[in-house]
Amino acid sequence: MGKEECKTMLDALNKVTACYRHLVIALGSTSDSQNLREELKRTRKKAQELAVANRTKLTSLLKDKTISKEDRAEYERLWVLFSSSMELLEVDMKRSLEIGQDFPLKVPTRHLIQTGMTGSTTTVAARAMSVQNMKYEADSNIDTADLRDLQSEITQVSHMMEEMEMKVQVAPWAVEAKQEAGAELKSNMSVGNSSVGVISICEEEPKEEDGGGNRDAGFASICAVLVFFVIVIVALVLGYLVINMS
Amino acid sequence: MTINTLAKGGWHREQMTCFRKMEKVIVAMQDPDMGMKMRNQRLLITVIPHAMTGRDIIDWLIQKYTINEEEALHVGDMLVRYGYIYPLKEPRSLVLRPDETPYRFQVGPPSHLNYLLFYPPNIRKQGELMEYEKERYSLLHKRINHTWDFVVMQAREQLRASKQRRKADRIVLECQEQAYWLINRPPVRSLSSLLYVRLCFLPFCLQIETSKRALGRNRVKSSICLESFTKYSEQYQNHDPIMQGSHWTMKLRNVRGILNTGVPVPTRLRVERWSFSFMELLNDVMGRKEFMTYLEKEFSAENLCFCSKIIEKVEEVYNKTMDKTLEGIKHPHRFVMDDAQMHIYFLMKKESKRQRVCDLLNALVTPKEISKIVGVSIKTVYNGKKRMTMSKTITRKSGRYY
Repeated sequence: MGKEECKTMLDALNKVTACYRHLVIALGSTSDSQNLREELKRTRKKAQELAVANRTKLTSLLKDKTISKEDRAEYERLWVLFSSSMELLEVDMKRSLEIGQDFPLKVPTRHLIQTGMTGSTTTVAARAMSVQNMKYEADSNIDTADLRDLQSEITQVSHMMEEMEMKVQVAPWAVEAKQEAGAELKSNMSVGNSSVGVISICEEEPKEEDGGGNRDAGFASICAVLVFFVIVIVALVLGYLVINMS
Repeated sequence: MTINTLAKGGWHREQMTCFRKMEKVIVAMQDPDMGMKMRNQRLLITVIPHAMTGRDIIDWLIQKYTINEEEALHVGDMLVRYGYIYPLKEPRSLVLRPDETPYRFQVGPPSHLNYLLFYPPNIRKQGELMEYEKERYSLLHKRINHTWDFVVMQAREQLRASKQRRKADRIVLECQEQAYWLINRPPVRSLSSLLYVRLCFLPFCLQIETSKRALGRNRVKSSICLESFTKYSEQYQNHDPIMQGSHWTMKLRNVRGILNTGVPVPTRLRVERWSFSFMELLNDVMGRKEFMTYLEKEFSAENLCFCSKIIEKVEEVYNKTMDKTLEGIKHPHRFVMDDAQMHIYFLMKKESKRQRVCDLLNALVTPKEISKIVGVSIKTVYNGKKRMTMSKTITRKSGRYY
């Protein structure tokens, strides 16, 4: 059915847009690298392919005059989802162009902003491209060479959005949400204990050489071991008491 | 859903230079040799690098730019206020404290790039919201109902994507997001504290109203307007004293002829002018005299009938159409102007008849052609009929302009 196909394609576009956003956030920071630039390029291209496919499918569905009212309402909702995704994508692309221009990678003195993010974004990109492992095969000057492509792609996306608005008459404010308020709060997505409340506890130590780094890791593991031993001792004591009682 | 940093974007252009300067300072701070001294931030088991204390920042600024403490405090404060540096312990207080409070950098201040930003509701805690949060939440759900699905969908995906990153990076990301929203908080009287809504639909509605009204108005194709304008200009070109240019002095007598009323013999130029339109004829004193004498002289039945018929028709058409048009305007609809259109058609018909009269008059002045008057008048009757049908088709065609 047309609707199911549309939904899957939209979900795919949504996923790629979210991953692209994560990659763009890492730009310019200490987790920036040649690999990141290549990941950005490939994710971007994939997003565009999906966007074009979505657009053709949705426009053909919306132009069809023989569909029922509920179907049409559903397609309009999907259309609003699609255009919002495109807006987000365009914004992210513009941001990546600006930051990419400000932070070239091939200069002798790289000055990436030390934001505290040091991990790589390979897994995010792998999720976007739906592959298990990313293979990097780009040239070493991808950071500058890609910027021109990026500029032309940004204009392409803006044109596409203008065309979309002209061709399809959908009033975005007339669409109603399917999700009720609060539904996502009751969902089972466990996020772990990364809530902000935990972050307010913080200490620092002056950064020393590598020895200092090792010392930090050792200290953490010592803490963990201590906690483990305390729990074992408590369990032993309780067991002993239980045995004594019975 | 999208945010338009309208308030900040307003002074975006004027303050671009100061942002560039701040960026230079930040970049200088990143220098591995001469830059800021970085510390580690430890949270239970996770260690996140690249933190610095307020005291460090101030000392570095004093040393690098040889300024005093007060100035360094001010500059550092600016950096925090515009989001280049954000505090880690008390995220809501965007000031630089010259003590041990930790800070960190982020890429590109959120406020100076005037772009639309998406902020999904990152669902951190499961369970219930507090009372005031519930209220705001439902209000928000109502306001951005049309993009709600997108917001939730995108939020889920972003959460899933963030799970792919290291724990330390995730914490940094959350801090950054929080800092962004604290810096870009809209004014207090706005809609919600959880999500920020696009209010741009209002100007769109106004635009739609004005466009609808504009559609209802009568329009003439510019090609037709321009045609009549060029004809008018061509007609009056010889009569315009300024357009005559260097021959001004030579034609001065003609010009004086136009201005002077009591000249015994009117100039050719002046009489030509009468042929342009009936009003010109009547406006000119001499023309009026000539017209009266002509009417008396000719006294043809045709002319008398013609004059009386004109007066009749004018009254009839005027009364009919004016009433209808006035009524129609009270209840506006598409066809209210049809009567006015008919009115115009009749006027044009009359115009052609006027043309005939003026041709005849013109003939008066040039005595050679007096003998042809009768023949001419018969011809012009036929021509007039043809012109009438032509003008009829023109009105019908140009009537399609709305």
